[in-house]
Amino acid sequence: MSKILLSGHLQYFGVALFAIVLLILPLLAGPYPIAVLVDIGFYSIVTMGLIILMGFAGQISLGQAVFFGLGAYVSGILTTQYHLSPWLALVLAAIATGGIAAIIGRAMLRLRELIVAGVTLALNLVFYYLVTSLVDLTGGASGMTNIPRLSLDGFIPEYTLLNYYLVWIIAFLLLIFSLNLVNSRVGRALRSMNQLAGGSEETAQALGVNIMKYKVQVFALSAIYASIAGSIYAYYIGCIEPDTFGVQLSVRVVIMAIIGGMTSPWGAFLGAGSIVGLTELLREFMPVLIAGPTGAYELIAYGIILVMALLFLPQGLISICHRLVPQGGH
Amino acid sequence: MDFSVVLQFLISGVNLGCIYAALGLGFFIVYGVTRVLNLAQGEFVMLGGMLTVSFYAMGISLLPSILLAMIITALAGAVLYRFIIYPARNSSGVTQALLTVGFAFAIEGIALLVWGWEYQSLPNFLDSPNIQFWGATIFGQTPWVVGSTFFMVIGLFLFFGRTIQGKALRACADERLGAKTVGISTERMALFSFILAAILGAVVGAVITPLTMTSYSIGFPLTIKGLLAAFVGGITRVEGVILGGIALGMVEAITAGLMPSGYYGVIALGILIIVFLCRPRGLLSARGKV
Amino acid sequence: MKGNFFRLNSAANPEKERERDIMEQPILEIRDISVAFDGLVAVNRVSLSVRRGDIIAIVGPNGAGKTTLLKLITGLLPLFKGEIWFKQQRLDRIAPHRIASLGITQVFQDIQLFSNMSVIENVMVGCHVWTGADFLSTGLKLPWVRAEEGSILEAAMDKLSLVGLEQKAFAAPSSLSWGQQKLLGLARALAAGPELLLLDEPYGGLIADEMEKISQLILGLQCQGITVLIVEQLTGVVMSIANRVIVLNYGEKIAEGTPSEIQSNEQVIATYLGNGLAGK
Repeated sequence: MSKILLSGHLQYFGVALFAIVLLILPLLAGPYPIAVLVDIGFYSIVTMGLIILMGFAGQISLGQAVFFGLGAYVSGILTTQYHLSPWLALVLAAIATGGIAAIIGRAMLRLRELIVAGVTLALNLVFYYLVTSLVDLTGGASGMTNIPRLSLDGFIPEYTLLNYYLVWIIAFLLLIFSLNLVNSRVGRALRSMNQLAGGSEETAQALGVNIMKYKVQVFALSAIYASIAGSIYAYYIGCIEPDTFGVQLSVRVVIMAIIGGMTSPWGAFLGAGSIVGLTELLREFMPVLIAGPTGAYELIAYGIILVMALLFLPQGLISICHRLVPQGGH
Repeated sequence: MDFSVVLQFLISGVNLGCIYAALGLGFFIVYGVTRVLNLAQGEFVMLGGMLTVSFYAMGISLLPSILLAMIITALAGAVLYRFIIYPARNSSGVTQALLTVGFAFAIEGIALLVWGWEYQSLPNFLDSPNIQFWGATIFGQTPWVVGSTFFMVIGLFLFFGRTIQGKALRACADERLGAKTVGISTERMALFSFILAAILGAVVGAVITPLTMTSYSIGFPLTIKGLLAAFVGGITRVEGVILGGIALGMVEAITAGLMPSGYYGVIALGILIIVFLCRPRGLLSARGKV
Repeated sequence: MKGNFFRLNSAANPEKERERDIMEQPILEIRDISVAFDGLVAVNRVSLSVRRGDIIAIVGPNGAGKTTLLKLITGLLPLFKGEIWFKQQRLDRIAPHRIASLGITQVFQDIQLFSNMSVIENVMVGCHVWTGADFLSTGLKLPWVRAEEGSILEAAMDKLSLVGLEQKAFAAPSSLSWGQQKLLGLARALAAGPELLLLDEPYGGLIADEMEKISQLILGLQCQGITVLIVEQLTGVVMSIANRVIVLNYGEKIAEGTPSEIQSNEQVIATYLGNGLAGK
């Protein structure tokens, strides 16, 4: 009994520490690192949803960029063409994206895992075609501009800093939500049906777990996480274009989930942080060594990392953390 | 509707259909023998095209350029299997598919590094001219596309049906354990299937470059479309894959002709996805295991 | 006559009468069910009536269709012909997870423990049927969810204590011995609070002490009013606790009766070729 409480207390401690670090960090860092941290924040949110989907429920999605993009575009459309408040648009976009994901999830229920991977991969292309064809709505291939910024009147003047707090407060809240979720009846139900990690769909069903309902719901959940991040991203950048939301982004968050470790929502931060950090390093140093378009190094690095991680460290970085900090049953 | 318009649709449809069918064959070979979904198949196509362009630009004549491109791409396929898939042969199918994705990314990055952003092109093979046919245009390269797909299919049929190696490959696909029992090295067969798929992909790449141009990023869209075509037709049978390819080609050609520009992509893909979701086994799937 | 007697006495209480009617009717009724796979008939016209509180043993040679029968009851396999009724409700069209919520739980032959969770968490999954927290309420950790989690933990520890595994609550399932894993599987199934428990070869791979413990637990369940259906190869052990035995062979029921009746049934003996029935 006490061990579960201990593990719970450890989580509380971790969360509190995290909050403190979040608040203090901007005071120590300059504007450039803060911009990088904002990026990490976005990725963390999307990756967290993906971790719940892949690591806990054992499902696969190679199409998270689509939901990220839906969040961005729907918010963009609602604010630029219907002049809704950005916050309202964010919520509506999340609901819409969740609904679409639920429909797609439902349609994919009959498919085998591997095929689901293929279908979610295909979604990237469908989304791209959709966005580029609905030119009036989305601005087509050249993108949408003039998306209003989120603002808290006059409180924090510096724009990047404002977004830093915005993204990270939301990431923080979602972290708490996720931690609550995975250490609960729902979390156990998801894990019980995760065939890839030691669960069993048949046994779960025999114990009353409605696996079809959960599969659809967890897929929608991961889409909602991505949508929220997408909406904030749209407000942050101000203009969005379809090329951003493609296969590369989808695979990048999968890499982050795998690298970070899919056994805990905390893995999202590890994964996002590592990959964004690596990307920054590459941008700084690679052009010195080998001339060439910077996108190239990232692509090669992502590919190599994905392969290495799958072959040698499938548990992700968080497994190293688990070894350092003894966990009770989690 | 004008006869020439319909004819144009048919010609475009067959053209596209052959491309997708050939792509699908690549998936079929690898999936059939190894049960791995090779999401890097599009990259083989890209490599085939880009390499052919480079060799041709160096002054080497067309056929040797294509052959060189095929060899190098085959090497890439071998690397993919030997160093990436083989070590993970006991992992889940999803893990293996993700590994091919990683490989695809790396190949794309290398392509970007070597060749840069721009699209590259080739002249029509033997400078075949466009043919006007009852009011419709047959692009000069089209006969090459259709022809190469045709020969690929015939070649594969003969290979799988007549030769010992081909039969061994089929044995691996149908019954792995049994194949091992009779002494067939499933690893060798798997390696061979990857190499074969790579070579096929390279040929497709070379053949379509005069028509559609090529660049470092054409890999994934091709992979996705080829995959969809293969799934819709039924990835477990050659006829299914070919049917799926032709179907996608036709749907794309017709929607491109009928719709205002831009929408056709969504419609075409959308139609196919819906068809697939209704019949996940594929239109022509084999009875039994998928 | 008997019915009249009862009715005279409880004329003033129709509620109790209804209750008694329910208690007297069979809890599980299998009517003439058949199922075939790939042309092979796995279960052929089997009928069975199970009363509340029964311990029924289903025995027969390998491949006789015993496990298939269990899976048909829990909905994991679809029924071709016939009907299965549980507490006056038809089972054969209902999804497995809903059948579990009606009060039927199964323990598989290979147990299938969730290796991605601790021992206690495995048991807590068993509590899923009678709890209701969903994504939103658990994410927000609403007060009633907290209370529910508390009662889940309590119920799970209770079941673990029942099987004697409370010391191992936070261990990984793979660290348990086979006998302990069997007990865990049982605890997990019991956490669901079933009225009908289906056990697939609960004695398989156990030593004598462990088998005795399982038997004690099953008898204890009977005292609590839980009905138990046991599929077993080790016929000797199971016949010592069952009050009725069904013998299957090639998917057909070839005999039904009390343990002693079955043991002296010539057809059954012939089926087993004299092995396994006598002795133990």
